[in-house]
Amino acid sequence: MSAHAGTIDHHHDHTTTTGIPNKKLFMWAFLASDCMFFAALISTHVIYRLHPTPDGPDPKKIFSIELTSFSTFILLMSSLLMALAVSASQKGKVEATRKMILGTIAFGLIFLGCQVYEFSHFVHLGLTLSSSMFGSTFYTLTGTHGVHVAIGVVWLVLTYIRTFKPANEAKAWIIRSIVQFVAFAVAVVSIMVMMLAVTHAGAEHGYSLSSVLHALQTNFITSVSTAAFAVSTALLFVLGRSTGEVDFGEVNAIDVEGMGLYWHFVDIVWIIIFTVVYLLEYL
Amino acid sequence: MSSAVPLTHTASSSDQAHADEGKFHLFVQIAMLLGVITGVEIIIVYLPLAKWLVVTALSVLSLVKFLYVIFYFMHLKFDKLFCTILFFIGLVLAGGTATALLAIFSSKDSIPETAKVIYAERATASVTK
Repeated sequence: MSAHAGTIDHHHDHTTTTGIPNKKLFMWAFLASDCMFFAALISTHVIYRLHPTPDGPDPKKIFSIELTSFSTFILLMSSLLMALAVSASQKGKVEATRKMILGTIAFGLIFLGCQVYEFSHFVHLGLTLSSSMFGSTFYTLTGTHGVHVAIGVVWLVLTYIRTFKPANEAKAWIIRSIVQFVAFAVAVVSIMVMMLAVTHAGAEHGYSLSSVLHALQTNFITSVSTAAFAVSTALLFVLGRSTGEVDFGEVNAIDVEGMGLYWHFVDIVWIIIFTVVYLLEYL
Repeated sequence: MSSAVPLTHTASSSDQAHADEGKFHLFVQIAMLLGVITGVEIIIVYLPLAKWLVVTALSVLSLVKFLYVIFYFMHLKFDKLFCTILFFIGLVLAGGTATALLAIFSSKDSIPETAKVIYAERATASVTK
């Protein structure tokens, strides 16, 4: 932990002419430019939203307002955890920062899982990227937002790993951090495969414990994924234990705050998409 | 005199603890409020109200959510004014671009002839049901 807890002014930097830390200024400038990027995508979708798929499904009938509302709620709660992570890092509380970042990662992954399920469901019903202008603009807009979320999750994972950097032995930490990152990647991919198998089994045989267990045991890829998930989670648990003094504290709060700004921006973009793309279709 | 230092220190630690707790509660309350607004948005869509009223209500509620996130979760309220100005430059340009695009290319004007047939068929099907 930082030895200077509570002594840094996180809203004012005397070393810059603007009084704003350069990293924060850069992030706000980037987010301002990203606003224009998303505005163009959203406008394009609104213009072409009345171009339906010939012989394809009616968007109003295939959109699931329950799933989208759940995704919105999940993203809002991830924003809360992110705000708490920033607050904890500004006080030099490393353990609390780690827990909040882990929670944000989990919620971000749930959101991505919902989006993957939604996309696969729509494609199955005939709405593809090339089936109509509606499909093209819909997937481009929501897919670009999904990519932003995915980048945010990777950034969160890297920051989480960064919190373990020891005050000494930096070389050994690099190897350890690579192992930790690979374990994260394996855990995420394997749980996605498992969830997909469970969803398919549930759709075919009904959502019961026996059908879920059957799906996880009979398919070879799913069985391997289950084993990989168990091993990677155990590895993450072992690597995630606190080991002595770390080179992470209040001075690193600006890095967490920059990441937080990006994550909240992803959330506000979804607030707009949820209203303009999903809710307006029901009118 | 020697006892004054620990007392002051204790008082400032207590103030800090109260401030931390206050911020935690503020964030949680805002998150709950945002959740409730999302629920209200969904209910509004299903209410038998005029389309312009629903669109206006949804726009206002989304704007409220948007402003809460940027001013509290993104700390614009506590940061220097320049951050707000910088972000709003991008936001105004984005809003202007979107408004101009929607004014030039209205969604109803750009419906292709084939789509008009599809909409007519869907309308007929819904009437017969």
